Amino acid sequence: MVPLRRRLAATVLGFGGVAVTACLLAPLVGSTRISLIRALDRSAPFADNLDAQIFFVARLPRTLAAALVGAALASAGVVLQALLRNPLASPFTLGVSAGAALGAMLAITCAGTWAVSGVSVVPLAAFAGSLGAVAIVYALATVKRRGLSTEVLLLAGVTLNAFFSALILFVQYFADASQTLRTVRWLMGDLDVGGYGPVLAALPMVLLAAAGVALLPRSLNLLSLGTEAAAARGVNVLGAQRLAFLSASVATGAAVSLGGPVGFVGIIVPHLVRLLVGADHRLVLPAAALFGAAFLVGCDVVARVALAPLELPVGIVTAILGGPFFVWLLVRQR
Amino acid sequence: MPEPPVRGSGFGVRGSGFGVPAMNLAARARGVLLAALLVSGAAACRGAAPARSDPAAGLPVEAPARIVSLVPAATEMLFAVGAGPQVVGVSSFDAWPPEVATRARVGALLDPDVERILALRPQLVVIYDTQEELRQQLSRAGIASYGFRHGGLAEVWSTVRDLGRRSGHAPAAGTLARDLAARIEAVSSRVAGRPRPRTLLVFGRDPAALRSVHASGGTGFLHEVLDAAGGENVLADVARESVAVTTELLLARAPAHIVEVRPGAPIGPDAAAGLRDAWRVLPAIPAVRDGRISVLVGDEFVIPGPRLVVAVDRLARALHPDAF
Amino acid sequence: MPGCALLRAADLDFAYGDDAVLRGVGLGIGPGALVGILGPNGSGKTTLLRLLAGTLAPTRGRVTLDGVDLPRLPRRALARRLAVVPQETHLAFEYSVLEIALMGRYPHLGPFALEGPADLELARTALEATGTLPLAHRPFTTLSGGEKQRVVIASALAQFEPGGVGQVLLLDEPTASLDLHYQLEVAALLRRLHADRGLTIVVSTHDLNFAASVCRELVLLRDGQVIAAGPTREVLTPDAVRALYGVAADVRWHDAAGHLTVVPLGPAA
Repeated sequence: MVPLRRRLAATVLGFGGVAVTACLLAPLVGSTRISLIRALDRSAPFADNLDAQIFFVARLPRTLAAALVGAALASAGVVLQALLRNPLASPFTLGVSAGAALGAMLAITCAGTWAVSGVSVVPLAAFAGSLGAVAIVYALATVKRRGLSTEVLLLAGVTLNAFFSALILFVQYFADASQTLRTVRWLMGDLDVGGYGPVLAALPMVLLAAAGVALLPRSLNLLSLGTEAAAARGVNVLGAQRLAFLSASVATGAAVSLGGPVGFVGIIVPHLVRLLVGADHRLVLPAAALFGAAFLVGCDVVARVALAPLELPVGIVTAILGGPFFVWLLVRQR
Repeated sequence: MPEPPVRGSGFGVRGSGFGVPAMNLAARARGVLLAALLVSGAAACRGAAPARSDPAAGLPVEAPARIVSLVPAATEMLFAVGAGPQVVGVSSFDAWPPEVATRARVGALLDPDVERILALRPQLVVIYDTQEELRQQLSRAGIASYGFRHGGLAEVWSTVRDLGRRSGHAPAAGTLARDLAARIEAVSSRVAGRPRPRTLLVFGRDPAALRSVHASGGTGFLHEVLDAAGGENVLADVARESVAVTTELLLARAPAHIVEVRPGAPIGPDAAAGLRDAWRVLPAIPAVRDGRISVLVGDEFVIPGPRLVVAVDRLARALHPDAF
Repeated sequence: MPGCALLRAADLDFAYGDDAVLRGVGLGIGPGALVGILGPNGSGKTTLLRLLAGTLAPTRGRVTLDGVDLPRLPRRALARRLAVVPQETHLAFEYSVLEIALMGRYPHLGPFALEGPADLELARTALEATGTLPLAHRPFTTLSGGEKQRVVIASALAQFEPGGVGQVLLLDEPTASLDLHYQLEVAALLRRLHADRGLTIVVSTHDLNFAASVCRELVLLRDGQVIAAGPTREVLTPDAVRALYGVAADVRWHDAAGHLTVVPLGPAA
């Protein structure tokens, strides 16, 4: 067997190469033809250099946003699937995105023209909503003194999803049509951040989550054997479960605040990566983060060019890819 | 590609029953515009246009004594041709002319209150032409309906004539239609020959930031208003009424003038400045760089009725101040 | 029980909420013992095993290893001395046999350390000891029940440093879902491990003949209480069988088998 060290290096280099390539190529593709040379040409003033404007203001920020959101959602998917011991779990299973959607909807419907230093309140409200959902689910799952119960976690998440969805419909009833339209558009995912500000705002949270996730891979491997077996091998099961739940939720909350609830990334990418590198989370986690970034950058390119000059919401592209992917998975297993 | 269907049930606000809720008229009118644009988008995809509702077989075409209108634009037209006294019920979004305040409210595009409508015993109900189910319900009750069709200026004039005919004011309607067309033509002549600025006509966005920007494409009454006012639509090649404008599109089309239209009561200079300031995040756009951003507030921009003349006039003044 | 106890439980109570499962259970397991915890379903065997392993905390009483309370021992240190083989292992993802064996090395590795050649060697040795080395690269989920059980035992063995002392292997109903053939395999394996490595082994089971064939000492558990404890030949009597199972049985030494056998005769009068 090839030593893990070597496989890890190969995995990171391989998937990292794909991710970096995607991020470098994506800003060059779009509904308007631009040339990299013209974009990087410093001689013309920026205000006159359309290629540079489109590259640096319109496309590069959204490529970075796509990479960040893709990496965050894919990693969160891996962690939650390991935590819930269920390959069908997604970052949205535990109600985080429903909380974010409710926050965003409330902001769109009620906040009017509030802004925090020029940034719309919607992403902040979405993040706050996601944290609220996390707090509720966690509180419900730790009610019995015997630590974190993953069954209760799952039930609490599913219940919260349903409850928040009902609340969202309730708020929608009082919203006017334009607010509802904006909410529906937000729910489909929108990576057109228009600047580096939103990406930089989301970055600290994602890095914090990444720090947590970095401590988890081996514990997640052992948790796959079962909580008893993991505990018997010296794993701090409760600590690992808490860390897994919190890092995955923070990563998801930050991703959803930045780009809306982009579905399927958190399920497709973990599955694909496991097919390629096996089940060892020390390989799966970095691979999923890198591949998730590349994947969503790719989906964003498709979203931008498929109907140029109009744009498909990126959540629709991931859904169109996700559906057939699951069918294929199902057929393959037969 | 058709607009994606809007999810949710029962949204929009019931004008009846609750009284007029504490939400500003502007928001609701804008809601109607967007809803109507959605609807027309959906209708445009249906291939063959649905036949207009002619009076049900057997009903003579005589002047209806009681008319209900679910469409604010149609309400304005009815009042303008002199059929105001016949109008007994209006939509929850209606706000003009002032007389509508005394009329009963019967819901709107998404939540028509059929019971209320029937209770008013109308002989004619003006509905959206996509409200097929409502049309059938009215037809079963023996009530004639007129399907309001959303479109450009030509559609508006022809609707004025239709409604005039259906309400028994055909001559007045004919005069009105000619008069409105002439007034718009007058504005167009005034600005003819001047260079037409490349303009982006924005009718909706996130109020606090430059997200979810929606602008007029190359079809629809807003586009034609812009055209009549002497502006060249940067999105003229996009065959849609409503275009979700991305950052890249904004930069690529590089409009020289940006006009934001909003329904509702006039806003103060601070509020207008605040709206203009949101565009500062993209200083590379010529319109932003040169400070050519106009914010025009008024219901005439969202209701494709007689007041479009005002819209054309105000837009022309914003684009060609030196011509006036 | 003979010898000073390596693993001792004193006065253990355990309850799930209001549901008392164990009451006043005390026992001592000496080094190198081969003990069976025998009792019907619902007698609290699994709970007792978990308490002995330290994965569950008693509501009253204490469990000590070498005289030290289990909760006071650092998790990894405990895992290097105590290994548990649960009744069933359900894997969420497709790990290979070797990867599962390597998971036993967790208590020996630092937080970010990767397994080295020594760990790999130990894992392979453990697989060999349970006769599963040829399966090393197969996905765990494709194995038969008996093979899976042996792999899990190997994974537990990998937790122990070779040549260490005072290492305890706890198994919860290792033969419950196995065919006769595999039951005998596991029984032989346990005897071999005990003989070759000097492991202390504690097995919980409801299978009388399995207990008789493997265990030197028995603890009889009924309704959460110990009703007898001691060497198998002394403790496993028809009266004990009746007390545990309400069954009349014949218990006799079987020469060919080399251990006691229990033949049920019918429900007790």
